[in-house]
Amino acid sequence: MEEDHIERAPADENMAISPTILPWDKFSNWLHCACVVTFDLELGQAMELIYPGHIKLTEKEKMNICYLSFPDSNSGCMGNTQFHFRIRQCPGRKPIVRSHHQYNRDCPVSLQSENAYYYGFVYFRQTKDRTIRRGYFQKSLVLVSKLPFVALFNQVVSIIAPEYFDNGEPSLEAACHDIDQWPTPIPGDTLNLPMMGSVLQVKIPCRPTVSDKISSVRSASKNGSQSLHTIPAHTILPSLFEVDIYSSFQSILPHIQLLWELVLIGEPIAVMAASPTVTSNTVQALVNLIAPLKYCSDFRPYFTIHDSEFKEYTTKVQAPPPIILGVTNPFFAKTLQHWPHIIRIGEMNGGASSPKPLNKLKKASSLKTLDSKPGVYTRYKSYLAKDKTILKRLLKGVQIKRPVEAQNAILRRHFLELTQSFMIPLERYIASLMPLQRNISPHKGPPRLRPFDPDEFLKTIEHSGPQLTPVAKGDWEGLYRRFFRSPNFEGWYHEKQREANQKLQALHMEALCCANLQDWIVGKEEVEIVDLILRIREKLSFAAAHQIVVGKESLLKLQNHMDGIVSSLPEDLQSVLKT
Amino acid sequence: MSAGRTVLSNNVSKDRVVSKFEQAYHADATPYQKMNFHPKVKSACSENRTGTVGLKISKAVIVGDVSVGKTCFVNRFCHDVFDRDYKATIGVDFEVEKFSILSTNFTFQIWDTAGQERFKCIAASYYRGANVVIVAFDLTEEDSLNNVDRWMEDASENASEPIKFLIGNKRDLLSDAAYEDIESRAVDAANRLGAEYWAVSAKTGENVREFFFRAVSLTFDSQMLKELESTRTVSSKQIGNDLISLQKQNTNLYEAQKKKKLKCCDTS
Repeated sequence: MEEDHIERAPADENMAISPTILPWDKFSNWLHCACVVTFDLELGQAMELIYPGHIKLTEKEKMNICYLSFPDSNSGCMGNTQFHFRIRQCPGRKPIVRSHHQYNRDCPVSLQSENAYYYGFVYFRQTKDRTIRRGYFQKSLVLVSKLPFVALFNQVVSIIAPEYFDNGEPSLEAACHDIDQWPTPIPGDTLNLPMMGSVLQVKIPCRPTVSDKISSVRSASKNGSQSLHTIPAHTILPSLFEVDIYSSFQSILPHIQLLWELVLIGEPIAVMAASPTVTSNTVQALVNLIAPLKYCSDFRPYFTIHDSEFKEYTTKVQAPPPIILGVTNPFFAKTLQHWPHIIRIGEMNGGASSPKPLNKLKKASSLKTLDSKPGVYTRYKSYLAKDKTILKRLLKGVQIKRPVEAQNAILRRHFLELTQSFMIPLERYIASLMPLQRNISPHKGPPRLRPFDPDEFLKTIEHSGPQLTPVAKGDWEGLYRRFFRSPNFEGWYHEKQREANQKLQALHMEALCCANLQDWIVGKEEVEIVDLILRIREKLSFAAAHQIVVGKESLLKLQNHMDGIVSSLPEDLQSVLKT
Repeated sequence: MSAGRTVLSNNVSKDRVVSKFEQAYHADATPYQKMNFHPKVKSACSENRTGTVGLKISKAVIVGDVSVGKTCFVNRFCHDVFDRDYKATIGVDFEVEKFSILSTNFTFQIWDTAGQERFKCIAASYYRGANVVIVAFDLTEEDSLNNVDRWMEDASENASEPIKFLIGNKRDLLSDAAYEDIESRAVDAANRLGAEYWAVSAKTGENVREFFFRAVSLTFDSQMLKELESTRTVSSKQIGNDLISLQKQNTNLYEAQKKKKLKCCDTS
């Protein structure tokens, strides 16, 4: 025993409580704040509390949160109701939390932290309470975050809110303190998150390219930080972000592939239902349909007539914006009459009696009121033929009472494969736009990705497109052409360009590091040499700012080259360059 | 977990290896008369049969009056530091320690609660399912010893047959004579509560490590024994105990789904 005491390393100052981590730093990796919204008989919806206290929200943000935290239809919602919303962040904020830079680089694009939006995860309680005037308790607890972890935060708010409603502020304080102890979300890690006496275990997904890198690093240093992540937990969340897509689409299953097309090409879609729980789930399910592709337009799982974007989004002066809205207020039946695609989801009567899926599409104009029948109202003609096998499989599942989780897995897998069949030719084409390795020269600027040419791409799919695989038959070319005009394509292409150019920058840096610059400068004009030095410096700072991965050794080599070159210059010039 | 520690290949640091059963601090102040691991537990561990015994994890809560040194006590053990001016705990702090007991990995969760009255209302949810309850008091503050009954009652109410401890902290501030005075009262209290008594000092580290080793030895032994016996009687394969559940998605969204509860080994 005594030996152990001697062996033990002395307490390191920054070992236990690092001085650089301020209170709430870890909290803000996950949440922006928690809000309590109450229904004041005089004022209507009112913000009662924002926690932690130093967090500031603008008046507009507060107002949006207030209105979106309560159901806005007259359908009751007695008891507890859970849903989520998404609002625009007011301009002028610090764009991103520091730790989210690395997170965004390594996580799947569709799970990136939002730059300009907040998610709100609501737990609304409405119960009879004779002690209150008008006899009702009506309050919401809302968690506000930039991370699209819908499943996680719905779970968390369902733990915190009942405690808060029963015991008041200390429980919110304690819960936020728990979150302030959560480890940083690092893609690829399995984390244990303490929450009100139990522990939630979640896995943070990462990009396929990153996962290879991580696993090789992990196996190389087995006894590293990994020890932190293998602790068994009380509650294992199967996913951070996945919602129940099967139940959401159950009543409109025959049209689900059509919906996939609409989401893919970024068409305006309105989801109408009686409760915000159903709209928020359905909208989220739609957005998730095209995973791993990121849905790049705005989407509002729950949207009300009080929203600050109400006018902008419902105007009849322009064509409807390419967004997805979830609404419950019957007023929208009229306001969104001109929208091309409307999904009406009826009451969720559960899978028990398996409602007959509606086979006929309805003309959008036939939707007059919110009391209209459930279904998909559109004139859209799909490009791809309906896949009957998946429908049969799912209907079979209903007959044999397959669990919802399994139905979900089948559906999710089907659309993952469909999206991948669609994207793989595009990925392949992008790869062909990369300049050749031998064109990277230290004496020229870094080459750039060649521009995307739709026609050239479409020629490539004639002999290797998805129409040749067994996925789905139809007019793939037409679908691609529509996709090229969508924000989803724009977002995807932008990301590809960024990735490719960063890679080229890194390769160019490596080439520069390995080049024999001292030989090159022999016989060169002084002005050329100075220019070279300035350009290298610029590159070094660019690399540092954009976290371009170049080996430390290479950078050291380059620094040595620089020093060598500088010292070969006349002394007066040297002193100028050193400042 | 901390930087300065040697980590063994199985992710447990060298100073968290338990190979012998730690003895009670005061033979007359403990309801736990075990001197060694149960033979069944020992043989299960040595024959490596523990793989079937589920997730080996224990939850401990530490409670007691304000500023008796709960957080300092935990920090002394978990990080080997002592900070006199440690800030008051907001709600609850959370620490995880990994042990290797008889070569079996064992996880010890420590929920360090706030002593303030205002956090009392939330405590129940934090105490839920605790396997070990540690009530701490300040050896130099008589009042804090007077409140231990209430703390023990509150914490044990939400736990299921927990292993109970009574900890007197700040031993370093007392002379031996002064300590003897309070010790007899503390021993009485421990016997009344059905708890095992320890005198410790978070500041000097006296008995801190010994205490935690004792606590994990006892909880490990009793949990393993319970599970070994239940796996024998229940033939169906079962992972974990009822502490662990797999969270179903959106459990309260659609009423109908509630009937189809997911079994905890389903991962779809």
